[in-house]
Amino acid sequence: MAPTFRILPVLENKKLGIYSKITLEDERICKYAECGNFVMVGLQALDPYLPRPFSFLEINKKSFSILVKVKGKGTELLSKVEKGYKIKVLGPLGKTFCPPKRGVLIAGGIGIAPVYYQSGWMKGGLLFYGAKRKKDLIFTREFKERGFEVRTITEENGGLVTDIVKKYAHELNGKQIFICGSIGMIKEIKKILNREQIDKAYAYIEKRMGCGLGGCKSCAVKTVEGYKLVCKEGPVFPLKEVDLG
Amino acid sequence: MVDLSIKFGSLELKNPVLLASGVWDFPYAKIIDFKRLGGVICKSVSLKPKVGNPPPRITETPCGVINSIGLENKGFENFISEILPEARKLGTPIFANIFGDSIEEFKKIASKINGVEGIEVNISCPNVDKGGENFGGDPKTVFSITKAVCEETELPVIVKLTPTAANIEETAGAAKEGGAMAVTASNTFPGLVIDIERKEPFFKRVSGGLSGPAVKPLALYNVYRIKNAVDIPIIGSGGIAGYKDVLEYLIAGASAVQLGSIIFNNPLAPIEILDNLQCWLKENGCKNLKDVNKK
Repeated sequence: MAPTFRILPVLENKKLGIYSKITLEDERICKYAECGNFVMVGLQALDPYLPRPFSFLEINKKSFSILVKVKGKGTELLSKVEKGYKIKVLGPLGKTFCPPKRGVLIAGGIGIAPVYYQSGWMKGGLLFYGAKRKKDLIFTREFKERGFEVRTITEENGGLVTDIVKKYAHELNGKQIFICGSIGMIKEIKKILNREQIDKAYAYIEKRMGCGLGGCKSCAVKTVEGYKLVCKEGPVFPLKEVDLG
Repeated sequence: MVDLSIKFGSLELKNPVLLASGVWDFPYAKIIDFKRLGGVICKSVSLKPKVGNPPPRITETPCGVINSIGLENKGFENFISEILPEARKLGTPIFANIFGDSIEEFKKIASKINGVEGIEVNISCPNVDKGGENFGGDPKTVFSITKAVCEETELPVIVKLTPTAANIEETAGAAKEGGAMAVTASNTFPGLVIDIERKEPFFKRVSGGLSGPAVKPLALYNVYRIKNAVDIPIIGSGGIAGYKDVLEYLIAGASAVQLGSIIFNNPLAPIEILDNLQCWLKENGCKNLKDVNKK
């Protein structure tokens, strides 16, 4: 469905662990958003100049939310927006996909946002979820309510999400797997799944974007079929197709 | 309504606001009403497909964006069979933008392009190893390429200049001597970003092309310099974010302008600029764009 460009007031900015959950209202964006979609979000300013791509986090009939983690100047300013503050939103963008009814989701850190959004289209399954600290683990109760068995791990307790994926890899055969996290994490999981000869795996790829519409060719990712644009042919790619370097 | 139409060379456009090459694609037509624009310049097309540069290809700078795309395109044949027919449906004047890494390549593409309002010649991309700004910095090469292209086509030819040529008046003059109908001043500025963690340049090709409001005074100065040295229509390009920027370019000597990366920041900028330009001209007693320069 055609994306739309809107200037929307912030309905709510709520702290969730180290994140800011920003809720915005737009019936049209909500109506046409599907699994895999994302939005470009920017401040009404020339500095920062570029909008940032964010997965949907939650979507209701009239409102939707995104999850912001402070990484630089743009996300820092965005994390501080107050109720009523108007921000620019372009979306829904990206290639949609039909998720399985049940499957395996693997998230590291803020990678929880798109997989939580995806879980809304599913009937349940298994979630592997790693974060730095226990208090950074969010939505675990909601995942359980959505029928997911939740396995978490934190760095403060000495573990990475890749450790629990490795431990339970034998359970994953024949299941569809969706991964979102750092490139390092995705690469490590690719190795584990290759060892188990599991090939029904997909990765959410994150890239800095210019337009989000395929115009600027900025968000290229190397694949077995040459460069592909994350904004147009992603953000979700079959794991075996992407070359993570 | 104030008359925003412009005439330069053999061209007549309904207004001076064009979309620059390399920033837009067809999905923008769902957001921007292309029929309202003065025209659009298509993404650079080369004789053979180009895969573009290895990622990362873009990063932000204060009030700007720096890219290292590397002219990714599917080649001339795809342009003719796929892109051009789709572009014609936009209902706005269409300009092809051609790139070659030799004079022969420029000639071959120019000889085959038809069905557009004009050809913009890209001799100024900072992100390729062969051609690009290496051509655009040298007046003799600018002359040779422009002449070669003009000999191959009856269409109006616009030469997109390198902003960092030692003497942009000379390269603009060379384009005119070669037969160009107009020049675009200018392409992105070569610049560097360092990745502090990796302790090396952010882009694999080291430098990238800087655009956005950060470069506006630099590009504007190029327009002013050319205007005062060479009698050739100028399309101003670089850092336009609002209608006042357009006015500055027109006063500096541009006949038209191109909007580029601002559509990333605000996809509706072209339409807002046109609306605001109308209002300003009306409020300031201008009947047409020529009146902008009336004191």
